Amino acid sequence: MKEKKAKKDFCPHGFPDCPILGEIRDLRDACARLSHQVETDGLTGLYNYRHFLKALETEMERSRRLGLPTSLIMIDIDHFKAVNDTYGHEAGNRVLQHVGSIWRTHTRKIDIACRYGGEEFVIILPTTRLYRAVNTAQRLRKTLEEKELPLADGTSISITASFGVDACDPKENCTEEEFVDRVDRFLMQAKSEGRNRVCHRGSHGKTLTTELSREEREALFASKPGD
Amino acid sequence: MEFPVFAPSSVCFSSGKGGVGKTSISINTALALVDRGFRVLLVDGDLGLANVDVMLGLSVQTTMRDIIANDEDPRTVLVYPEPNLAVLPASSGVPDMVNLGPEDQAVIGQILQVLSADFDLVFVDVAAGIGPSVLWFNTVVHHNVVVITPDPTSITDAYALIKVLMRDHNRRRFYLVANMVRNEKEGIQVCQGLIKVVKKFLNVEPEYLGFVPRDNLMARAVRDQVPAVRSAETGKADEAIRKLAARMARGL
Ligand SMILES: Nc1ncnc2c1ncn2[C@@H]1O[C@H](COP(=O)(O)OP(=O)(O)OP(=O)(O)O)[C@@H](O)[C@H]1O
Ligand SMILES: [Mg+2]
Repeated sequence: MKEKKAKKDFCPHGFPDCPILGEIRDLRDACARLSHQVETDGLTGLYNYRHFLKALETEMERSRRLGLPTSLIMIDIDHFKAVNDTYGHEAGNRVLQHVGSIWRTHTRKIDIACRYGGEEFVIILPTTRLYRAVNTAQRLRKTLEEKELPLADGTSISITASFGVDACDPKENCTEEEFVDRVDRFLMQAKSEGRNRVCHRGSHGKTLTTELSREEREALFASKPGD
Repeated sequence: MEFPVFAPSSVCFSSGKGGVGKTSISINTALALVDRGFRVLLVDGDLGLANVDVMLGLSVQTTMRDIIANDEDPRTVLVYPEPNLAVLPASSGVPDMVNLGPEDQAVIGQILQVLSADFDLVFVDVAAGIGPSVLWFNTVVHHNVVVITPDPTSITDAYALIKVLMRDHNRRRFYLVANMVRNEKEGIQVCQGLIKVVKKFLNVEPEYLGFVPRDNLMARAVRDQVPAVRSAETGKADEAIRKLAARMARGL
């Protein structure tokens, strides 16, 4: 690596302040900056959707080769629209930056945190089993809930988010789209079960209880002994 | 999907709500049936928080997980607290086991099929809730026993469980056991209440199977790691459990 760099910076004519060399350096920096821009989200500094798609493909391929599952966490900020409406777009942007920095600082170096779009985020956890991914999601949920975001006017707001988690085993042979779809469904479940929670294959949700109709509930309570 | 159905009669104990006494009742009923001459296999289907082994005071080296992960011979994993009672332990605190994928289910199905050949009855004690493994165990057995208590949330959760099993898995025969009741009268009353609602909305009729009274003997049994029907003391609870076992022995 080092040798290569030294070679590139060497002017064949031996000019100490070679203008061409300077230009090459500038171009190289610009190139790095641009490719960084192409794959990052300007507001949060996380990876963007475009990079997410590429990275997921790479990680699932790695998964197939190593025989280890890839895990995915999908996150949606709860009541984000209400924050925007109540405190304005500036505060909304602060919220996005705030959660983005939590995702980044509370995940491992190898994890790939991305802004999926709007107030949705996705984190790829390479070669990670489901229960570890669930632990991570639970930690993120808790951290976010506890870390209030101070606002310009001196007040602070507390933000929560809903999480869907799943792992894809290489043996399953599922496509990236199917995998994202699956995780998204757990995210939906987390939303419908009342937000600020983590849903995954093993989470026995309250969905079923809440699925009971009012008539069923009333009948069950009427049947309570002692009346 | 095609599921294996075990050759000997198999029964799943579930509840929806946690802590209502599934494990206590399945262990004690299994023992009471052993006393009636049955060879019983008790499967710890609580894959995340296994505790059948703890309640029986067993020391367990290998579990269902080793069979799946390392191709361990299922027979060597069985623990026999008594000659006619075998326990298939599960591991505790391994959350990835709770999330049974289709392949894991197929493997567990095969394991149970192989093991059950040596028994007259297979009992499965499952986890609380209505997670995938709970539903799966409920669909591979012959009979579904649902344990309830007079607590309204237990009744609501039991109803939700029955609803899902019926609607999504086409299960139609359910048996109710009322636990932690004062007496048989309350047991019947609690079960009848649920039966009425299930019949009205789901159009199936669960059967009342029995009751177990609230009895300190049951709670102490957990602490002492000696099941109530094996305790030196006798009480209301073990009498009721023997009655329940007699009902099951006559056939569900
Ligand atoms: N009839 C009873 N009288 C008094 N205590 C009881 C009775 N049945 C069970 N218990 C107590 O209630 C507690 C929960 O029982 P148990 O573990 O069998 O329930 P469970 O449904 O298997 O729980 P989980 O959902 O956690 O698996 C235990 O401490 C047990 O001793
Ligand atoms: Mg239990």
